[in-house]
Amino acid sequence: MFSVSSGGGLLIEVIGLSKSFLGVRALHDVSFSLRGGELHCIIGENGAGKSTFIKVISGALTPDGGEIKIDGKRFSVLTPHLAQRLGIAAIYQENILVPQLSVAENIYMGREYRTRFGFFSYRDTFRHAKDVLDSFHLPFHPAQRVADLAPADKQLLKIVKAIESNPRVLIMDEPTATIDVEGIDRVLELVKSIKAKGIGIIYISHHLEEILEIADRITVLKDGQIAGRHDRASEEVTMDLLAQEMIGRPLDKFYTRQHAGIGKVVLSVSGLRLAESAEPVSFDLHEGEILGIAGMAGSGRSEIVRALYGADPRKSGKIVFRGREVPPGSPGESIRSGIGLLTEDRKTSGLCMNRSVRENISILGLDRFSKVFMRLRKEVQLVAASVSSLDIKTPSLNQEVRFLSGGNQQKVVMAKWLFREVDVLIFDEPTVGIDVNTKTEIYRLMAAYVSRGKSIIMVSSEMPELISMSDRVLVIRRGAVSAILEGPDITERNILNSSMGGRQ
Amino acid sequence: MIQAEILRPRWRTLLRNQSFIILIVIVSLSIVIDFFNPVFLSIGNIVTLLQQSSVTGIATLCMVLLMISGGLDFSIGSIISLACVTIAKLVAIHWNPALAALVGVGLATLCGFLNGLIVAKSRCPPIIITLGMLYVYYGIALNIAQGQFMNLFGTFDALGNTRIAYIPFAILAWIVLVAAVYVLLTFTRYGRRLFSIGGNEEAAFLAGIDVDLHKITAYTLNGFVSGLAAIVLISRLGSVISNVGADYALRALSAAVIGGVSFEGGRGSVGGAVLGVILLGIVYNAMNILGVTAYFQNIVLGVIVVGAVVFSNIGKIRR
Repeated sequence: MFSVSSGGGLLIEVIGLSKSFLGVRALHDVSFSLRGGELHCIIGENGAGKSTFIKVISGALTPDGGEIKIDGKRFSVLTPHLAQRLGIAAIYQENILVPQLSVAENIYMGREYRTRFGFFSYRDTFRHAKDVLDSFHLPFHPAQRVADLAPADKQLLKIVKAIESNPRVLIMDEPTATIDVEGIDRVLELVKSIKAKGIGIIYISHHLEEILEIADRITVLKDGQIAGRHDRASEEVTMDLLAQEMIGRPLDKFYTRQHAGIGKVVLSVSGLRLAESAEPVSFDLHEGEILGIAGMAGSGRSEIVRALYGADPRKSGKIVFRGREVPPGSPGESIRSGIGLLTEDRKTSGLCMNRSVRENISILGLDRFSKVFMRLRKEVQLVAASVSSLDIKTPSLNQEVRFLSGGNQQKVVMAKWLFREVDVLIFDEPTVGIDVNTKTEIYRLMAAYVSRGKSIIMVSSEMPELISMSDRVLVIRRGAVSAILEGPDITERNILNSSMGGRQ
Repeated sequence: MIQAEILRPRWRTLLRNQSFIILIVIVSLSIVIDFFNPVFLSIGNIVTLLQQSSVTGIATLCMVLLMISGGLDFSIGSIISLACVTIAKLVAIHWNPALAALVGVGLATLCGFLNGLIVAKSRCPPIIITLGMLYVYYGIALNIAQGQFMNLFGTFDALGNTRIAYIPFAILAWIVLVAAVYVLLTFTRYGRRLFSIGGNEEAAFLAGIDVDLHKITAYTLNGFVSGLAAIVLISRLGSVISNVGADYALRALSAAVIGGVSFEGGRGSVGGAVLGVILLGIVYNAMNILGVTAYFQNIVLGVIVVGAVVFSNIGKIRR
């Protein structure tokens, strides 16, 4: 075991940290420190480098440059195992709980208490679990099945589980992302009581009020670099100031779309609710319009468009498309009405990865070349035309799509929808994981599509994309519309303020 | 890495193609066996071999259809048995054999539909559901047969002895069904959608394909073809017993896997499945000709199945 001295000294000190992925700079010259009993918040837009930073600290990624000191001891290479032994514990957003097991068994998984014959000791495990739950005033029982807990309680349990490994540093990646307002207060209470025990906390969040409630220090990341550093003990920090720093640089106009002016309403969503308690969502979409949907990751943007498309059930709400109501509940109905959805994740829900380019593109428009039987020659002709018009780079139409690059896969997804000629396309993160050149091509295709009087709803986390492509931007915050921005009001600052709960 | 994959020379792609490898194995195995026993490649033996393989061959077609759509049916052996004993029972009470056969096929179709309905609507793994249905259908067959051999009184001998251009009925039926399933999978929208569902069910659902409906019809079709397999089986037998079809589910599954049909769905071909069946047939036939004991035959069969699956998975192990 490494001996680690405690006290008021620096638990973690990071100097000049850098990390690149395939030539893209994710972190550059980042310095950071953490003391015991301190809560240090890291904030920034999607893609600012927050996740990369905590992965480096917890040993999941190896940095390219810079040094990491833990308790004054220098480490050039940190592995997850080593980080754990040094007392660094991380709580990620992914679920690490086993729903079939009890609360107590989950807390001590891998560190089970044993009887003197070496068997699992239910008595000790449950007793210790009860002690720790009581000490944090948590209202659930050690024997309760995790599957029966509310989302907020599961989050609390994840934190308790991490605490029971006796960490000296706790990293929390958006612990309040998936829980409701009442649950958030309970999580924050727990975080404060952990801090009081002298544990250092690195806390990542998208919610500015939350940060101002609990943070001792705040580091703002922007494009992988430090954009601001604040110590709340010595200065007054406001939401406006933080938002300002997160925006920072001037917007780089990598693609400028010609806005042609929008036509009449084609799609009208009114009172859409995903859950009984949710606030209703209403908006209109016009001919020739690109409607951007902004919001932080986890704000419910994707859920709204999935429900709109009929991929997920909706509790209530009316969707009228060209004067006709779209019945709820099935993608088939939406497609027949003329609405298409391009999901965020091409691999799991967009493409059949082990089928060919040809079959993936034609699946929505089999009728175009079929009578009783499919005429495969005609299919090849039609698909070849669409492959060349979208400039998809593939050695053959029979190439399995899993061998294509991300950008070309995304073009295959687009080709598939254009093959069918629908009137409204919903893009969820149209350019995620795609190189800059292909991005521009995809923007051009989207612009060409709406210039023919079609319409696009575009969910996006990328500010430049939202700003340069959208005619209007709908900002979603905690599952509800917090602002609709138009024309000159579509600025990074306005989008950010509305999505994080700052003032307009 | 991706580039290398695309630019790989053609012959290497061919060597990774399981159907092609099976074909090479079949040809070289035939030559070797023929060297030891020249009877092997005689027309008579080849016809016998294909005739013996025909029921497995037809059962394998069902399996291919299902596996391509991401499904599976362990109960086809019991469905075949149930159809056989039902037909025998009706024949015994002097029904018209054609009508009896029709009822048998209808019953098998119904069994398939039931499997499909449960699998699609419950979203349970098909392996468990159809394992359960295997017992249900076998139990019904046992009740009908009462553990007895049921004499067919030669009613289907004429069908079994029918030959067109020297080709016996069993092989003809197999060929016709191979062609039908090939056309279904290659040239119909329905077949294309089955591939799509097996390849990525979520993507297929989001593409507006009625996944449940396609699954149910695939299982129903599977029941129907199992019924036809039962008729081919009956045409070659003098009497039937309640477990007459019991072996066919595992044989069909083995043949399909050997022929490169993927367990994960979305991948597989009729041609591969036919080659898989023929390879199994050759191995059985050869072992009989060469005097390998039945006890040893099972070991050889198992090794071939495991070998084929491991081979088809090699590409995935290296990341």
